[in-house]
Amino acid sequence: MAIDLQATAAHVLNRLRERGFDQAQVSLSLQLRHEVCVAHNEPSLLRSNQSYRLQLVGLLDSRRADAEGTEFDDDSLSAIVQGLWASVASAPQDAANAVSSAQSADIVRGPTDADVAGLAGAMRELLAWRERETPTMMLEEALAGHNHVRSTTLTSGGTSLVSELGWFDAAVFGLARDGAHSSSFNYTGGSCDSLAGTAFVQRFGIDEMMRALTRQVRTQPLAERFVGDVVLTPRAVGSLLGWLLGQLSDQALIDGSSVYRHAVGEVVASPLLGLRSRFDAPGVAPLSADAFVLQPVALLSQGRLKCLTPSLYGSRKTGLPHVPVSADGWELAAGTTPLADLIGGVARGALVDRLSMGRPAANGDFSGVIKNSFAIDGGQVGAALSETMIAGNVAQMLRDVRAVSAERIDAGAWLLPWLRVEGLHFS
Amino acid sequence: MNTSLVGRELETRHHELRRMRMAMVDGNLTVNLRTVQRGLSARAYLDGYWGFASAPLTAGEAERGQVQRQALDNARAMARFGARPALALPEARHVGRHAYPSRVPLTPGECNERLAALQAHCKRHYPGLRSTRLVIGEEHHAKLLRTEAGGDSLASIQRAACVFTLVGEDADGAPIEVDEYVTGKGNLADLDWSLDVVAPMLDRAHEHLQAKRHAVAARGGLHTVVLAPALAGMLAHEAMGHPCEADAVIGGAVTATLVGQPVASELVSMVDFAHTCNGEEVMIPVYVDDEGTPARDVVMIHRGRLTGFMHSRETAARLGQAPTGNARAYNPNDEPLVRMRNTAILPGTSKLSQMIEGVDDGYLLLKTGNGQADSTTEFMFGVTLAYEIRGGKVGRAVRPTTVSGSAIKVLRSVDAVSDDMHWTCGGYCGKKQPMVVSMGGPALRARAHLGGE
Repeated sequence: MAIDLQATAAHVLNRLRERGFDQAQVSLSLQLRHEVCVAHNEPSLLRSNQSYRLQLVGLLDSRRADAEGTEFDDDSLSAIVQGLWASVASAPQDAANAVSSAQSADIVRGPTDADVAGLAGAMRELLAWRERETPTMMLEEALAGHNHVRSTTLTSGGTSLVSELGWFDAAVFGLARDGAHSSSFNYTGGSCDSLAGTAFVQRFGIDEMMRALTRQVRTQPLAERFVGDVVLTPRAVGSLLGWLLGQLSDQALIDGSSVYRHAVGEVVASPLLGLRSRFDAPGVAPLSADAFVLQPVALLSQGRLKCLTPSLYGSRKTGLPHVPVSADGWELAAGTTPLADLIGGVARGALVDRLSMGRPAANGDFSGVIKNSFAIDGGQVGAALSETMIAGNVAQMLRDVRAVSAERIDAGAWLLPWLRVEGLHFS
Repeated sequence: MNTSLVGRELETRHHELRRMRMAMVDGNLTVNLRTVQRGLSARAYLDGYWGFASAPLTAGEAERGQVQRQALDNARAMARFGARPALALPEARHVGRHAYPSRVPLTPGECNERLAALQAHCKRHYPGLRSTRLVIGEEHHAKLLRTEAGGDSLASIQRAACVFTLVGEDADGAPIEVDEYVTGKGNLADLDWSLDVVAPMLDRAHEHLQAKRHAVAARGGLHTVVLAPALAGMLAHEAMGHPCEADAVIGGAVTATLVGQPVASELVSMVDFAHTCNGEEVMIPVYVDDEGTPARDVVMIHRGRLTGFMHSRETAARLGQAPTGNARAYNPNDEPLVRMRNTAILPGTSKLSQMIEGVDDGYLLLKTGNGQADSTTEFMFGVTLAYEIRGGKVGRAVRPTTVSGSAIKVLRSVDAVSDDMHWTCGGYCGKKQPMVVSMGGPALRARAHLGGE
């Protein structure tokens, strides 16, 4: 079934105009995905998905409603447009509602050939490497996939955004086991433009994670409570950044819970931290959900907060400058400290790969179990830990970063180093 | 069906997923979204490998055959990994229609009126709030499944949820939150979220919010805790439920070697209910799973001993056990995985008030945000509302914390189980795909680690 996305999106936009919407936005995409899966150390499944996604935004008299569907024959379109009309008619008026205007882009990037043989080759390589290098590792699930997404977004304000992206992705999930003992599970993954050039297990920190798991089968809890340092792996650093990005975006800005609402221009993090976009990363389209073309943006520069990231709605609601961004596509600048020295500088603490915790409180307070982690004593990595918690405040942790590694892991959607943070409560 | 496909291990699913979500923040309708996702999928098992394909839904038999052939071709393509013997999968031939007779859905206008009334109530009664967030949603899955073994079923699952969050400030001006939930089977018209019902809940939430203004940090370490029913349900799901999913068992979860062994106090029994509990249909009733297996209850812990695991057809074949009807797929593009349905710890005989009175120095844990399990049974979940217990009395509120521990150690330490039961079905379980589940439990008294200073 071949659909002209541009023509169909234009047709749907006309239907919305004819129905009487003041402003409207239509996005139509076609995604093709192929995925070779491993389960329990064995090749298991080849999956092919083809799916359409039609997203509509309708504004009427400053009221807004959204709808999504997967079909766009006449009957389906009539139903979804009528549903949108019914939803918008009863919505409260909000002068902040608007759709983008005069945005234009035509983006073509990445491999469009699924290369199923290449996906299978990646899984074969992973299985062989596991058997040879980490035989106690159980790959409960692993996959190599390819995505090909064509998308068109049109608005009544004249915006036209067309993109065709292709990228590969991978995920590895599992644990190590020895007799009756097993490690905690762990997982990693990422996206890339090509499967060639670099061994599969050397991508996204897969080899490092699998080797570490085999050393985490036998664990011990900490004997006492103390205040110490943590070295966070890039996977754990991602947890901190997720909280930070949430604090800079709509919900926290609109409901007033963001601790950074009035902090633009201020030093809110360690001067060692620089956070900026990489909207050209594999699988990341430089387009926002509210139909704006993304420009490169720096959020932290030497620890100083450069901007907040409200959407068009958030900006009109709060009066803050509009900074369109994507959820994915961020990098933390590399530091100058070799990872070994980063760890060597910890008098007492832990090397932490995974923070298992509830959503931090609105003010950043958190406590969580440190998973897939090792004790550090006198700069030496020791035993794997179990039943160990740390507590602190995420905002304070960002200020308490004392070293940033020169090494980073590139997972596509993010590119992050290891961080050493001081002053966490261990229990 | 295409006759050339007869005799194969093949299932075909027509899947429709409808969702609605509205969010009102301080009177602003920030989310007002309705989605419909329809698709056709097929899964084939051939010579020891699986193939899966999905495509947009069309009515034609030709397209159905095309998706089935793609699934078979995909299974066949896996032979590149080498020949291997196929498992003898248990047959799945359930025939039946299972749908909840829900009421006529609320219109968008009716939903907006109720949200506006609740918002006005909050503004009128709680003037010091920094913000009020009201979120409502409903979700309806309808899956028509046909299997080559003769299965032919309709499985319809509907659930609705309302979440009300009051945001205030603590004594230092930092934001604090308390939320209340109403969840249930069916759509929003089937839930009672009228102002008469919700207003007392909001009053209670506001009282907790005032207490949290002066909350103290939890003392990190091992403590006696009374877990309110909402947390016991999370404990059931996260701590012992996931390690009893048979794919996790095959993957190396420590439960693999513990069948018949004591893993909890004798006061603890735990069941993943398929569709009925105590004669009443549960919140997420699964009569047939997405492989066509008729669903049955799985007793995972009986009076403290580990007794069984949740299965798909494949995991049942691998472990030489019977399938349980736990293979579930979230959306039209997903293959079935082993998932929980309605997981609960069964009630005991104690009274919650007496359980609290019996604690000299500990904590009462009332609300949770999220949780995570581990193959080791080590678990954690965020605690968003808690109080100290001193001398058998509830004391100061505690800042958000995390409770964790080895589920086996924690469940072995249980010395009291309340006689009441609380079910909820508002959240999603995450495991490659999201999934709608319910969880339930009574209050438990146990020893567990709290995160803190």
